[in-house]
Amino acid sequence: MMSSKKQSRFAFPELFEFNWRLWSFVLLLLMSGAVLFLNPVSPYLGYTDPFYSPTVLVIPVVALFRITCYAYRKDYYRHVFKHPLACKADIRGEKENRPYSGERSFFALNNFHRYFLYVGVALLPFFYYDFYISLVYYSGYFTLRLGSIILLANALLLTLWTVSCHAFRHLTGGHIECYSCKVAPNFRKKFYLGQSFLNAFHEDFAFISLAFVIAVDIYIRALIVGLPIDYTFFKVLI
Amino acid sequence: MNEAKVSIMRSEPAVSSEVKFEEFKVPVVEGMVVLDAVHYIQNNIDTTIGVRWNCKAARCGSCAAEINGSPRLMCKTRMEDAGPEVQIKPMRAFPVVKDLVTDLSHGYEVAKKIPPFTPRPEMKSPYKIQQIDITRSKEFRLCIECFLCMDVCHVIREHHSDYFGPKHVVKIAALDLHPADSVDRSELLHNEGGLGYCDITKCCQEVCPEGIRITDNAIIPEKERIVDHVYDPIGRLIRAARRRKW
Ligand code: SF4
Ligand code: SF4
Ligand code: FES
Repeated sequence: MMSSKKQSRFAFPELFEFNWRLWSFVLLLLMSGAVLFLNPVSPYLGYTDPFYSPTVLVIPVVALFRITCYAYRKDYYRHVFKHPLACKADIRGEKENRPYSGERSFFALNNFHRYFLYVGVALLPFFYYDFYISLVYYSGYFTLRLGSIILLANALLLTLWTVSCHAFRHLTGGHIECYSCKVAPNFRKKFYLGQSFLNAFHEDFAFISLAFVIAVDIYIRALIVGLPIDYTFFKVLI
Repeated sequence: MNEAKVSIMRSEPAVSSEVKFEEFKVPVVEGMVVLDAVHYIQNNIDTTIGVRWNCKAARCGSCAAEINGSPRLMCKTRMEDAGPEVQIKPMRAFPVVKDLVTDLSHGYEVAKKIPPFTPRPEMKSPYKIQQIDITRSKEFRLCIECFLCMDVCHVIREHHSDYFGPKHVVKIAALDLHPADSVDRSELLHNEGGLGYCDITKCCQEVCPEGIRITDNAIIPEKERIVDHVYDPIGRLIRAARRRKW
């Protein structure tokens, strides 16, 4: 449109900018990764730490599921890379002379999001299984404890985040141009509309679920070091 | 009666390269919108101010400008919301013709590249379309072509790339999601349209005066269609094996 074009010669021009946001973010990621791998948590009193369910080895894949998620993409493009920081003219943090490649070279990798979604969906049952295990941990008894409720809430939040995903939306109904040409059109359309309703809150679920997983991890670690923060609602013989 | 200070960015590139802000005092009455203030100035203080408008009812999309740094319709922004000091600039992403009037002709060039509605061959006019098929495409029909989304988009505003821009993605999504249409425009959007430049940061969605969820409902679905063609070899194989589009 307008004359001068500053197209980048690099696949990832943002890497060569002086950007403390990026490097402190990377440092934070590395540190938390190190903590998770160097200080693993094994199941305690029937509680499985979500980061180790089913195994700590899936963490990189789960991390990629988060990193390629449209909600997080928006947020790191905005708040880490300032492309743009905000929409109003004076606080955009975006400049004409900054090189920009968008999602055309390095970040085009984000387009593989749906493959990580498949893994994410496959992992969901494990969190419900962990909830179940926590209920029947004392053999012969059915026990409802605060920790179990926390595990259930965690599973539900992860489910809400996963099923409100944009790729999930496309794959389960968004790709359909003609609903009336499909088997069970009303069901398909209602499913799509229900999913779209959740999808509108996808960014919220993304962050609430992330914060919650971390909180659950800290909760279980706190139990292990002996903090008295669990509570048994009831324990009945089965 | 309240008074507001309205400062307007004045320029006319064809005549001179000078750009300046001029401040006017405007009496504010209840229910007044920013466009009323500009009209007040035009009628009572300076008749030479360039401003484009038609409907004054947020239907025609002509009066887009940047009010206190936010891209908005002047006729849909109340003076009491804009505050006692109002700064009005033309949309920065487009060349200024005069004062608040910008040249949007580039948009027409892009629009020409988009294949028009092409009904499936078996469809006979008048088309019979089920309600459940048409609702998605209908959202995009709300577009009043105000170009606010184009103005706020950093890909266009700061990076001047070849990206078609959100307004045109809305148009393309309206056609692609139309149940009677037979063309898939997502590959055009991927190659010539430069949709990859969009980093889904949703400024367009934030400013759309029609409340179109541009990024969620037009851009991301088009990106997912591009994934279908370009970045999902396994899905492509499965669909090929089933010998169906989907
Ligand atoms: S979401 Fe995409 S099209 Fe919309 S303003 Fe951001 S970069 Fe531009
Ligand atoms: S999509 Fe919205 S902001 Fe963009 S031109 Fe249409 S009405 Fe204006
Ligand atoms: S004058 Fe028509 S939209 Fe403002």
